[in-house]
Amino acid sequence: MTRLNRMFLSTTILAGLAGLAGAGNAEAQDTLNALVWCDHTDAALIEPFEEAHDVRVNLREYEGTGAALALLEQSRPGDWDVLVIDGIDVFRAVEAGILAPLPDDELPTADFFPEVVMAENNSRDGTTYAVTEKFGYNTISYNAEAVDPADMQDLSAVWSETYDGRISIYDYYLPVMGLAALAEGIDTADITEGSLDAIGAVMDTMRSRAASIGGVVAAQTALATGEVDIVVGGGEWLTAVLAEDRPELTWTIPEQGAVRWSQSIGVLADSANPDLALEFVKYITGPEGQARLATSSCFWGMPANAKAGAHLTEDQKAVLRWDEQEDYLARTQLYPAPDAALDIEMQDLWLNMLQR
Amino acid sequence: MNARRETLRGWGFAAPALIWTALLFVVPFAVMGAMSLAVLDGRTLIWGLHFDNYAALTEKAYLLRAIFVSLEITVTVTVVSILLAYPLAWVIAFHVPPRWQRLVLLLTILPFWTSYVVRSYAWLLVLAREGVVNTALTGLGLTAEPVTLASTRFATVTGFVHFFVMLLTLTIYANLIQLSPNYRRAAMDLGASAFQTFRHVILPLTLPGIMTGAFLTFVLCIGDYITPQILGGNNELTVPQVIMVQLGRRADFPLASALAIVLMAIVTLAYLGFARWLRLDRV
Amino acid sequence: MMRLLPWLYLAAMFTFIYLPVGVLVLFSFQDGGLPVPPVEGLSLRWYADILTDRRLVDALTNSLIVAISSGAVAVVLGFCAAYALARHVLPGAALLRGLLIAPLTVSYLIVGLGLLMVMNRLGIGLSLWTAGIGHVVINLPICFAIIYASMGAQHKNAERAARDLGANEAQVVLLVTVPMLAPAILAAFFLSVTLSWDEFIIAFLLTRFDVTLPVEIWNLLRSGLSPRLNAVGSIVFLVSVTTVLVLELLVFRRRRS
Repeated sequence: MTRLNRMFLSTTILAGLAGLAGAGNAEAQDTLNALVWCDHTDAALIEPFEEAHDVRVNLREYEGTGAALALLEQSRPGDWDVLVIDGIDVFRAVEAGILAPLPDDELPTADFFPEVVMAENNSRDGTTYAVTEKFGYNTISYNAEAVDPADMQDLSAVWSETYDGRISIYDYYLPVMGLAALAEGIDTADITEGSLDAIGAVMDTMRSRAASIGGVVAAQTALATGEVDIVVGGGEWLTAVLAEDRPELTWTIPEQGAVRWSQSIGVLADSANPDLALEFVKYITGPEGQARLATSSCFWGMPANAKAGAHLTEDQKAVLRWDEQEDYLARTQLYPAPDAALDIEMQDLWLNMLQR
Repeated sequence: MNARRETLRGWGFAAPALIWTALLFVVPFAVMGAMSLAVLDGRTLIWGLHFDNYAALTEKAYLLRAIFVSLEITVTVTVVSILLAYPLAWVIAFHVPPRWQRLVLLLTILPFWTSYVVRSYAWLLVLAREGVVNTALTGLGLTAEPVTLASTRFATVTGFVHFFVMLLTLTIYANLIQLSPNYRRAAMDLGASAFQTFRHVILPLTLPGIMTGAFLTFVLCIGDYITPQILGGNNELTVPQVIMVQLGRRADFPLASALAIVLMAIVTLAYLGFARWLRLDRV
Repeated sequence: MMRLLPWLYLAAMFTFIYLPVGVLVLFSFQDGGLPVPPVEGLSLRWYADILTDRRLVDALTNSLIVAISSGAVAVVLGFCAAYALARHVLPGAALLRGLLIAPLTVSYLIVGLGLLMVMNRLGIGLSLWTAGIGHVVINLPICFAIIYASMGAQHKNAERAARDLGANEAQVVLLVTVPMLAPAILAAFFLSVTLSWDEFIIAFLLTRFDVTLPVEIWNLLRSGLSPRLNAVGSIVFLVSVTTVLVLELLVFRRRRS
């Protein structure tokens, strides 16, 4: 056998053995499979739990609630244990029978900021199915050195001609359309098919002033490289990560208000490891887990548990605007929560706007 | 008898590959076809013969627009890549000394050994307002202010051309290097100028190579998701991006399948257009 | 000036080709938190960061495993099919060839989407295996095409000679055909490994937790802007370049001598 052939053969055998060894290793420990948002993939958040319970936590990120629900439907029972989901979408998961009931007495919701417990979203018929773990705002992020901060206090000034081509829009239809509604004086809870005309008009204006529409990284890149000076739909979650290097990248909540996002965490009904899953939920909603989640590498956000403040530094709390939360919570509204038909209309409106 | 045994043995050898292709390519395709005729009612999938998804092409503006965007970008990329790659292949084939040709080709391919995803992202950095290109433009005084290049169609096209120039240079080079120098000599002897030689002798002889490369470029470009997603800024969506949106946001497999079938139809039409130059028997 | 034109063009094109890689590697040494100008000083911390990132190292290993095994399977299947169609008269040979080549013209997204739906219907869980299967589907046509194209008449004579000398079929294939076609087989294997190593969309659709490197890079890309990405890209580049150089020295130099 030629030297080369031998080389290839041995490489293949080694690779195969490595694969088997790897596979064998993984099955030695208990595992927990979680379907999450990118902020849960921070090693600083996951490793303390893994070490404390000697388990391996497998994480899979997903794009939109629709994709997560479809993924869960197509999975076999026992494939997944934990789900992180948009606060307003919890009811969909409950309706689909995906989530398991959680024991209220074991959850630290008493320590939460009252406005974010959101029992109406997280429970049904008195049974709790999910618990809020993090919240923040979809509002206006901007470069304080490039724009007039006073303009950022008025939504219509934000996407006025002054800032033509200097705006990026965050690529998520619900909060951005919510902001458009607020700009027209329509409460997000009152959005109907009739409101779509007014909202569509605002969106068109917004779009004509925008240089790009993008996800988390695209928006961060655009802001950081000076491609744009404003991100509509941005917030602390977008700029906090950059705050250390670039303190001029900041955010505010305008007079008309802004949209509040929240994410909840729950245990799946057909989880193979319900006790471990519950432990994970308790860890994430406990003070230390909350502090780490709040400052995780993908995006920052306010922890639901107020006691997490004890585990955050003063600088971190300043970036999160800890002391202004009472004011912010009062002035912001939840995401629009359309029914299936209206949802499709809104998505179509969004996709049409994208293609302009 | 011997012939029959030979044929059986032939089938025996061919079977694994054929079965693999049939089960894991043809069957999924059929499933996709059936799925494109299904419809999504809330969360439940209803099979049958529904043409809703195809009808949606005419009803939903953004779908039709996506097809046009894909075609515009792909054609632009193909043409620009050919125009840039041909001279490059020519220079390598006829001006670089033969000893160094393979090295030069290797150097041409080398940058494409970074991850495709990361390379597209790198273009974002290059084209940024404070990036290399803009710094050069303002530095040389060609423009007063930095130009918006990233997150535009220009960025997407540049990202694509970057890759396909490399691909086409290789295919055209392979073609050029096989040309017997006698053709050129004969043409010169008969009094043709360099340009005439090129136009009437070299170009027709290399056309099959160009067309094969162009077809490959067309197919790969129109079906690509990453480059437009990273570099396009979502300012306009191509068909693959729309397919992924249907999957990622709505888990709408029926609509995604219908769009995939449409994409396939476009590619098939392109194949028929290029068929003259693509000879499968000389695979 | 005219004489310089070809060289100027070469230089210009090479600048274009190397621009993104240059920027990538440059900003992987960025000392600050953002891989954008200005360069704030040089540091190796991002390389240290990713080399200790368990998920990245796992992804890299996974990529290697999937690439090598799917490449091997594709080459074996492709070789057998090429041998069958080049050396035997089979009815509908043109159709069979077309069938085997067909996946080449289909976008990877479509191949992945089709397989995803089939896996879902059959209740098969997604994993590196399913991604590997997808990669064989796309690499099989290439292996078949390359090996089929190099099976020439001169090889046929050698095989006939071997048979006349009493070798059975297995011996003919293993001891005569394969060694003669070694360059084509190796080229096909190498190409398949390369394509699988860098392939994103099929791996993205068909894996669950254990992902390949391109998918992990994509996750990184969606999780935050940082020179880590630059460092990862630079390392992938370095690994690939080294592999190519090693192969160049081992394979092609040997052939020349």
